[in-house]
Amino acid sequence: MNRATSPRHWRILASSAVVLGLALTGCTNPGEQDQAAAPSGDGGGDGQVVKESSGEDCTLEDYGAEKLDLANAVVGFSQSEPDTAAFRAAETKSIREAADAAGVERLLVTNANNELPKQIADIQNMLSQGAEFLIVAPVNSDGLDPALDAAKQKGVPVLTIDRKVTNTHCEDYVAFLGSDFYEQGRRAADAMNEATGGEAKVAILLGSSGNNVTDDRNSGFKEQVAAEYPGLEIVAEQTANFARDEGQSVAEQLLQSNPDITAIYAHNDEMALGAVTAVQAAGKQPGTDVKIVSIDGTRNAVQAIVDGNINAVIESNPRFGPLAFETAEKFFAGEAIPEDVIIEDDEYNQDNAEAELGNAF
Amino acid sequence: MSEQVAAPPRPAAPEPRRGRRFDADWIRRNGVYVALVVLLAINVVITDNFVSEGTLRLQLIQVTPVLIVALGMALVIGTEGIDLSVGAVMAIAAALIPLYIGYGTAVAIGMAVLAGGISGALAGTLVGRIGVQPIIATLGIMVAGRGLANLFGGEIKSIRDPGIVALGSESLLGVPYVVLIAAAVAASVWFLVRRSTFGRELVAIGGNKRAAELAGLPVRRVLTTTYVICGLLAALAGVLLAARSQASDPTKVGLLVELSAITAVVIGGTPLSGGQVRIAGTIAGALLMQLITATLIFHDIPDSTAQIAQAVIVVAAVYVQLGRRKAKS
Repeated sequence: MNRATSPRHWRILASSAVVLGLALTGCTNPGEQDQAAAPSGDGGGDGQVVKESSGEDCTLEDYGAEKLDLANAVVGFSQSEPDTAAFRAAETKSIREAADAAGVERLLVTNANNELPKQIADIQNMLSQGAEFLIVAPVNSDGLDPALDAAKQKGVPVLTIDRKVTNTHCEDYVAFLGSDFYEQGRRAADAMNEATGGEAKVAILLGSSGNNVTDDRNSGFKEQVAAEYPGLEIVAEQTANFARDEGQSVAEQLLQSNPDITAIYAHNDEMALGAVTAVQAAGKQPGTDVKIVSIDGTRNAVQAIVDGNINAVIESNPRFGPLAFETAEKFFAGEAIPEDVIIEDDEYNQDNAEAELGNAF
Repeated sequence: MSEQVAAPPRPAAPEPRRGRRFDADWIRRNGVYVALVVLLAINVVITDNFVSEGTLRLQLIQVTPVLIVALGMALVIGTEGIDLSVGAVMAIAAALIPLYIGYGTAVAIGMAVLAGGISGALAGTLVGRIGVQPIIATLGIMVAGRGLANLFGGEIKSIRDPGIVALGSESLLGVPYVVLIAAAVAASVWFLVRRSTFGRELVAIGGNKRAAELAGLPVRRVLTTTYVICGLLAALAGVLLAARSQASDPTKVGLLVELSAITAVVIGGTPLSGGQVRIAGTIAGALLMQLITATLIFHDIPDSTAQIAQAVIVVAAVYVQLGRRKAKS
């Protein structure tokens, strides 16, 4: 009856756990695998350039915060999604490097794993660990109130990057640094027009539902097509959740049921890479028979342009580090910071992909 | 103790087919096949390009990962257990492929499948020998396993190994390798359940564990083995998914596959209360789910509507099952 506590069974359990650990980590080799995002090193990676600033200005005095010397400060960075996504990995790396360059005393980094409650807890924890300035990549536009309130009470300024929060500017947060996802969608439509010569039946692979990136990249594309490119006919739009294998499955189904699809617009590079495999499986040539345009600028996707499988990629630059710390320095020096600081995103296409491959993340 | 012995055991094996009656029991046994045929017929009428070798072949290819996981899940559910760790195991297996591919295709696949076996042994030991509730034991492995997959996998990696790529995209005599493998797995699991002592013991334990123990059946060994098989199959599914997408994304591979697998098993007529394993029903259940997904994509139904439609179909299927159990008791 008391077999549950027999030491022998704990031993089996413990040894199987050990074996699992050893088997999986013991003797891995670098092999000849392809790295999705090879470390960009010093050579790779273009910094962000501000395209336009808008909204009301916010100064240190307006915000009610105290002057801070970043060189001796504790800075917290709350990342939203796991660093397994190339975009997030590049973003976190960029913040770390910029923190080093700014010589901060200590950089605290947390990852919310895409869970809002965890991000709130992460931010509260960093505040209790003495963070004096926070950079937050919000999981969601809404719902960070408890965390932002806690920061306000401690007089800790918050800078949001890549996703804007709906809270009050200059009260709950200093400014928003990010890309214009709507504009990315419009530029993807331009690139699609360029790639197809203006005549195509287009299928759209949507990102996750209920996500502002998905909504903006989609409405930007569709509104630009409606306004400028009557020859581009959108025949299907289906979600593939920003994932490569779902992009592949959904594209396979669409190509099967609708064989005259001649172009695919994917909301991110991973789904576009899935679509490349799907087009090949359907016995067609990606990039030629079926034109593919996506958004992000990951190394794999830019390489696919070089290989002729993807036609164009609109960049969404993840390297927020230098701009974030530059903005913070200006803010603490008493300069006014505008509400929205929108960055300039590049475009990769068949003309520049080979030369610009080093800039991909 | 003696009272417990005297307690009448629940039916331990599928009872012999009694009538040709069109009752609730008939619906539960055959509802999934009827639904599959109806949905196929609807598609033949309303979907362009549906009746083509390519479309049908695509459904068979795409169903393989869920089907293979569901077959393992059917065994576990047959023991009145549940395995929530299958998605994480798929992710671990997929993450190990690029890590070991330098040693060759076979080694990489072997390591991936081995990891599934080890994870299954862990679950089986927790459930079978230590007596942890299956949902708790496998929930723990699910959470830890996903973390482990991220740890091994790191960023999304492309897999260019010709062996792996061929496994995912090539065919033998016109049948894709992944479909052949799924068919072989289905046949093996069917044989295991219907023709082997192990299968009879498994079903007996699921029907009434106490009675099985008292009858001297090797309960712990059978339970452990069942979870090991489920882990191995989940890992195999992870390998095939990685081979097909030629990539390994540890955060997204196998996400929520446990729910798809459980749904396929349940709408296929296997009761969650254990004591029965229906292999053909599970296959039909997985195909039905695949066909629902495909139908919604074919007709460009928006995601939000598609999710609701799927939920309605699943709830309806489970309701039919409940109706049967009430009728029986």
